[in-house]
Amino acid sequence: MNLLNYVPGDSFLHRLNPITKLAAAFLYGIACILCGNIGMEAAFIVLMIVISASAGLAGRALRLTRNLVILGLFMFVLQLFFVRTGAPLVVVKGFVLITTGGLRSALLLSLRVVATMLPLMILFAITPMNDLCNALVKRAHLPYRYAFIITTAFRFVPLFSTEFHEIQDAQRARGVDFETKNLIRKVQLVAPLCVPLLVSSLEKVNSSAISAQMRGFELRNRTSGYKEYPFHAGDAVVFATLAGMIAVSAVLL
Amino acid sequence: MIRFDQVSFSYPHGETTIKDLSFHIYKGDFVALIGANGAGKSTISRLCNGLLRPASGHIYLDGEDTCEVPTSRLARKVGFLFQNPDRQICENTVRDEIAFSMKVQGWPADKIKERVAEALETFSLKGEWFPFSRSRGERQRIALAGVLACEPKLLILDEPTTGLDYMECIHIMDYLTGLNRDKGITVLMVSHDMELVQDYAKRVLVLGSGTLLGDGPVNEIMKDEELLHRARVLPAQIPSLALRFGDRFADVYTIEEMYAAVKQG
Repeated sequence: MNLLNYVPGDSFLHRLNPITKLAAAFLYGIACILCGNIGMEAAFIVLMIVISASAGLAGRALRLTRNLVILGLFMFVLQLFFVRTGAPLVVVKGFVLITTGGLRSALLLSLRVVATMLPLMILFAITPMNDLCNALVKRAHLPYRYAFIITTAFRFVPLFSTEFHEIQDAQRARGVDFETKNLIRKVQLVAPLCVPLLVSSLEKVNSSAISAQMRGFELRNRTSGYKEYPFHAGDAVVFATLAGMIAVSAVLL
Repeated sequence: MIRFDQVSFSYPHGETTIKDLSFHIYKGDFVALIGANGAGKSTISRLCNGLLRPASGHIYLDGEDTCEVPTSRLARKVGFLFQNPDRQICENTVRDEIAFSMKVQGWPADKIKERVAEALETFSLKGEWFPFSRSRGERQRIALAGVLACEPKLLILDEPTTGLDYMECIHIMDYLTGLNRDKGITVLMVSHDMELVQDYAKRVLVLGSGTLLGDGPVNEIMKDEELLHRARVLPAQIPSLALRFGDRFADVYTIEEMYAAVKQG
């Protein structure tokens, strides 16, 4: 299953203005970046899973968290061995392998990666890209050309992900063993997949551009869309809550 | 060759796609898998080579349970031609592309060279071509050449003639028929093109909502309009005309005679 597709629903999160959702995802990320407390970073992750659950997306949030933790582990290892501040924690034959500062920094940064990226991923699940594009044009007065570029970039992420899996399947059917435990071999096997992926991406971009031209891309402006995107009380509550979170993260944590 | 034994399969968060499906494809068969969209044709073809694994039941390939064999090893026996050749092609020259599968399957270098040369000649391809800049028909031929170079025992074709012109289509299908006849390669073809099925398949499996609605020789299946209607499949034009005209069809040789027969009927 693709983890970045839109999931239809009628929850509080789904009903928010698309601009609020986009801004909230970024503000939540800022709060996570400003926070310097390991426990609170973990709490931010749990809070985002709970918020996602309120929109019926608990399963997706957990799967995304699991995938992001793998990315976080990479950061963890880098920080653990390369940050040399603090007192020695693990010493091997007189060489300080791990320091307290390294461990703290590793934990904090790996959790921060997960906490910052999770809301952006959840944004895909609760916002149709067309709505986000139209709202950016109508409410944020962004020129349609730029809104189209932003939302197309987002829209293509799940498409490429699906395409990548299809290409991987085609190569497995030819005898390529992606299950190998050898990391170098794995990279060698995945690298050739970039060629068909690039070719199909260029084809998709080309057909999208032609399709946009055929539908009067150059003529689109702020008044072209029939759908309105008003802000409601819920949007104000979200902005106020996130402003509070950022203030608490910056001052207290 | 391949046997489905009470196989069920469903995609995550989806309805059951295949329900308790059992059938046997014998060595040397040329089988067409037909049915409406969503009937489970592509799912079955992907179950055959281990890209998908059954939720229950077993699939035996040459007596070996496919669940216990990785897809990469099944690929030595099962060749799979995808509808879209661009997903298969990943090398910068046609020569490297044809050799790719043999390399990953561990063939000896001299044998690879020999098989590549044969494939280039058979499919009228040039080894130094950049595959992605060729026409759709040529890309399909490159993909097929890569699959057949490995000498699979079972060849699965997922809509093999999509996007090909009539002559390309005939060229590829005639070649496959020759392989099936002369080398005994078993062919399982997924197709919506009933004319193609009528012309080339020996046996047809009719699918509807993940169950097997019919299984029999192509002429028998194409005559069974009720079965094809249940499977939401339009019969091939020629058998359907023959059925409409009855005995009079034997006298039809020209367009004029066809008009006359239609007028009469």
